[in-house]
Amino acid sequence: MRFVDEFRDAELGRALAGEILAAVEPGRHYKIMEVCGGHTHSIYKYGLDDLLPANVELVHGPGCPVCVIPMGRVDDGIALAHQPGVIFTCFGDMMRIPGSNGSLLDAKAAGADIRMVYSPLDALRIAKANPEREVVFFAIGFETTAPSTALTLKRAKAEGITNFSCMCNHVTIVPPLRALLDSPDLRLDGFVGPGHVSTVVGARPFEFIPADYGKPIVVSGFEPLDILQGVHMILRQIAEGRCEVENQYKRVVPYEGNRRALEVMAEVFELRPHFEWRGLGFISHSGLKLSEAYADLDAERRWTVPGVRVADPKACQCGEVLKGVIKPFECKVFGSACTPERPIGTCMVSSEGACAAYYNFGRFAREREVV
Amino acid sequence: MTAFDVSSEAACRRDPHGCITCGDEGIVMRVLQVDETRGLALCETAGGERSTVEIALVDAGPGDDVLVHAGTAIA
Repeated sequence: MRFVDEFRDAELGRALAGEILAAVEPGRHYKIMEVCGGHTHSIYKYGLDDLLPANVELVHGPGCPVCVIPMGRVDDGIALAHQPGVIFTCFGDMMRIPGSNGSLLDAKAAGADIRMVYSPLDALRIAKANPEREVVFFAIGFETTAPSTALTLKRAKAEGITNFSCMCNHVTIVPPLRALLDSPDLRLDGFVGPGHVSTVVGARPFEFIPADYGKPIVVSGFEPLDILQGVHMILRQIAEGRCEVENQYKRVVPYEGNRRALEVMAEVFELRPHFEWRGLGFISHSGLKLSEAYADLDAERRWTVPGVRVADPKACQCGEVLKGVIKPFECKVFGSACTPERPIGTCMVSSEGACAAYYNFGRFAREREVV
Repeated sequence: MTAFDVSSEAACRRDPHGCITCGDEGIVMRVLQVDETRGLALCETAGGERSTVEIALVDAGPGDDVLVHAGTAIA
């Protein structure tokens, strides 16, 4: 398959692993964060960390939108789902995220009309097919997904569909990265930058990372060779004393992003003053809400939601996992009380979550072997 | 079959827990037909799965490959 097979070539992969080995300084430990959950998933699916030298450590960042949703927002969604006459629509992962009193799946079992959709457009179709019902779409995701929601809201407005509304949980990638870089307990040598978020926002927004924090970042794709090449480019920058934004994923990511997507987002959304992130707390200007022009499609204005902040379960260490401070298997409940079947923490729910990636691909506790 | 070639199918689809959201997942699809009045296109994955995709954000015509996320072509 075009754009896939050529980026999974084993021989090229081994050659790149050799170049990575040649680029590292013996005795120095390198800590590189892959920001995006999609990268985490690929790394463990393809066993890429086994190709890296033992002194190159990959730590997993907060780039899984499902993993960073706080329990209070899940409770707000469940409250909307229980409103009379409401059909509540959301992506599949979201249904299993535990709130303080069960998940959306539990609410569905208790009688709420909750339906899984693959896109916001599917939710709008349900609204058109059920004009006598109110259809709420639980919007979640980074800048990759936000344009899709924005286009659907524009379409709803243009077509005069009034029984459709959106509970907006979209988040932006730059503020949490800044929060992570400001965190005193984190020492990183570079970032594998998010690929598809950058398709929308471009690589330019990451210029603050080398400029303000002196760390290299390489926007990378998701195939095995993309990620290995991204890691190699970071290590080469370090070896050559450079520190800049590089774009490994040029076949998809324009440096300036997708102008049309940014315009439609600017029209439909505005920044919230604060938004809560699981494990990271409240981060300024990191969440999106509907703009005044689209206020009539805002589910949180159509109904009152509890809006109560709920503390994470004490045993759960998702926050430390999301900050890359601990590995998933170092969490007290990993693989015992917390499994994909019965998750306590969000990182175990989405397959992009670091804990689920470790669990599903068998990384329970073992140390890396020296290559 | 190479060491990397586990499957061309997205891991999420095989994941028994069903990753749908996929914060950053993009699927390469080929445009088959464009409905310009509605801003939608009929697209097909390499595996032959077809779906309707929003194409307002890209310039794409029949035969072009697009990167689709949550029902919208983003590149």
